[in-house]
Amino acid sequence: MGCYIHQNNCVSPQGNSESIDLNKLHLSENNTLKAIEPDWLPKEIPLAMYRRMGKASRLACGAALPLLKQQHFNGVLVGTGYGGLEDCVKFLSQIIEYNEGRLTPTHFVQSTSNAIASQLAFFSGNKGHNCTHTHRGLAFENALLEALMLLKENEEHNYLLGGVDEISTYQHNIDFLTGWHKEELVSNAHLFSTSSKGSLAGEGAAFFTVNNQKEKALAYVKGVYTFHSACADDLSSFLKETLQKQLHEVDILLSGACGDNRFAAFYQIIENILPAHTVIIRYKHLCGEYATSSSFALWLACYILQTQKIPTGMIKKGEPKQAYKNILIHNTFRGKQHSFIWLQTPNLTTL
Amino acid sequence: MSTIFVTGIGIYSPLGADLKSNHLALKKGICAISPLELIPSFYAKKMPVGEIKEETPSLKEKLRITQNNLTRTTLLALKAFDDAVHDAHLTNNVLASKSTAFINASTVGGMCLTDELYKDANAKKEGSDYLNSYDLGSVALYIQERYRLQGIINTINTACSASANAIMYGARLIQHGFAERAIVGGVDSLAKFTINGFNSLQILSDELCRPFDANRKGLNLGEGAAFLVLEKEKNIKSKKAYAQLSGYCNANDAFHPSSISENAEGPFLAMQGALHKAGLQAQDISFVNTHGTATLNNDETESMALLRLFTKKIPLFASTKSNIGHTLGAAGAIEAVYSILNIIKQEAYPSLHFTQPISKTGLSPLTEYKKISVNHVLSNSFGFGGNCSSLLFSKI
Repeated sequence: MGCYIHQNNCVSPQGNSESIDLNKLHLSENNTLKAIEPDWLPKEIPLAMYRRMGKASRLACGAALPLLKQQHFNGVLVGTGYGGLEDCVKFLSQIIEYNEGRLTPTHFVQSTSNAIASQLAFFSGNKGHNCTHTHRGLAFENALLEALMLLKENEEHNYLLGGVDEISTYQHNIDFLTGWHKEELVSNAHLFSTSSKGSLAGEGAAFFTVNNQKEKALAYVKGVYTFHSACADDLSSFLKETLQKQLHEVDILLSGACGDNRFAAFYQIIENILPAHTVIIRYKHLCGEYATSSSFALWLACYILQTQKIPTGMIKKGEPKQAYKNILIHNTFRGKQHSFIWLQTPNLTTL
Repeated sequence: MSTIFVTGIGIYSPLGADLKSNHLALKKGICAISPLELIPSFYAKKMPVGEIKEETPSLKEKLRITQNNLTRTTLLALKAFDDAVHDAHLTNNVLASKSTAFINASTVGGMCLTDELYKDANAKKEGSDYLNSYDLGSVALYIQERYRLQGIINTINTACSASANAIMYGARLIQHGFAERAIVGGVDSLAKFTINGFNSLQILSDELCRPFDANRKGLNLGEGAAFLVLEKEKNIKSKKAYAQLSGYCNANDAFHPSSISENAEGPFLAMQGALHKAGLQAQDISFVNTHGTATLNNDETESMALLRLFTKKIPLFASTKSNIGHTLGAAGAIEAVYSILNIIKQEAYPSLHFTQPISKTGLSPLTEYKKISVNHVLSNSFGFGGNCSSLLFSKI
């Protein structure tokens, strides 16, 4: 079961789809990679509403509004691991500071993670299916899976699909205390040469128009596979059981390696299963680590299939090839949630 | 498409810790809404809420939990999850197979620990035991780890319709061959966060809520958890099944972040879509378990949607929010269970505290217990962000 991607757009720490130059690396600051928001956004949204929007909402609108202008959609599917948490803690702070007195509801309304998808429905007057998936590191994958199922039920539909997460001051603090960020100062240019625990904090939004139309499609999502385990051997068995017979077709493995030494084994074991001709490339030095970074990876994979070029600095192993047809995206989030998304050039499919 | 049956139920609500006690309480028309007791808050002993009167440490003890990082939300979910799984006779092997999916829904997650989260968000050095437990995904991730679940796992948050969407997502996974069975539902616990949030929107009532009453003053918050086991009809053989999940639909009102449009487009489309999915007509519906929060906006717009869909003959309807309050992310699943009780017991339970219909719509909910013939029950859940969902359960 698959779907075709027709338009895509991202807001990332390397810029958005219009401005991005992947051969020039925007550097991290203080172990964080912050998304570069498009400057046109405040002009597109009523000012009063723009001011109220949380950052995750702004990032999502930056990526999704250009798509909403091009196409009518039958529904909106969003994955966000922690979207809305910034507003949530802002509201919490009010509760504590005003000792549960009279509070203003703005932050409360923005704090619920479905505010993002519902805002997109509101902007486009979209009354169709509208769902927000919040399963931490597999939030985007579940939204993608829902898109596949809805498209199977409704052959003619178009869905707006996206993933978004923000770096919020408070979640950043909690993640730091938990040990998800590196303690020593590391530049994203050297992320993969570190051998310590933790990664760089990242954020971004990537949105896609998906449907069943092969004609003029950018790429074809052949499948999405998710799995939970804290053991690397389990992950390798899962991949073998799920995709063994097709692994020889993989031209590129787009690996979610994040520079955290505790999770290196998950990425290594998958690299080892793939054939020698597969080019291994990585992306988290571009966007940092966040729950829905696989949506940015999917955007990148589309970009590579379209341009047939791998941007500088992404290759870990292997020689550039004549043609790239199949890209397997592997992501492991915090050592327990794993996903594979298979993307291929649209002309390979017979649907 | 396969026919999907409900083969297991687990419920923990202010009306009781199991299906039987919930049934008896509904039948007797018991209201489990009373002043807040268990959360240290400015509103303690004042604000009426649907609270499960079991303190978190004692809940932990009953569930034999020794870990320090589990929140009340996770504990409530665990109890209902275990009960649903036992009720459907799923062995640990079946539970841990790749063909068993688990879909949870929550709007609060670990944020029930409002004060702890505030401290951790601002702590300079060491955090509390709960650092990994605040987000919505933490509940399902704990249950995954505990039972080594290998199938598809998800957490959905569409505000107050979240668990209706979890039920829908699980049904779709089965329909499309991604799972043979799915444990689906949702959980939320009372939190200083939501109490103050809804209060800031001025939609909390300081009295017992009165769904569909002309003089209603707002909603009461509640807490609870419910999970259903969904299986394909052809797989269950001689096993008991409660009801069929025959239709479902998710639609968006695309109107306002926290209220529904006057002509109730979202609620109307959700109900109409569920009927369409089931291949049924409006007149086939025996009973509607309404969203019925008792806010000024919801009850009037939901009534408008009922009038639009059912035109002349409105089926019997009631709101169980008058028994337990609004359990947010758990509401869709808890009310799915109550709708299934309507079907298996062939009876309808009264809406409480109603005296006078809204003049604009003139609709009155059922106010007394009644034995009726129930073939199809529509269950509504509408949320912030215009997220409207309806489920349709049918007699087998």
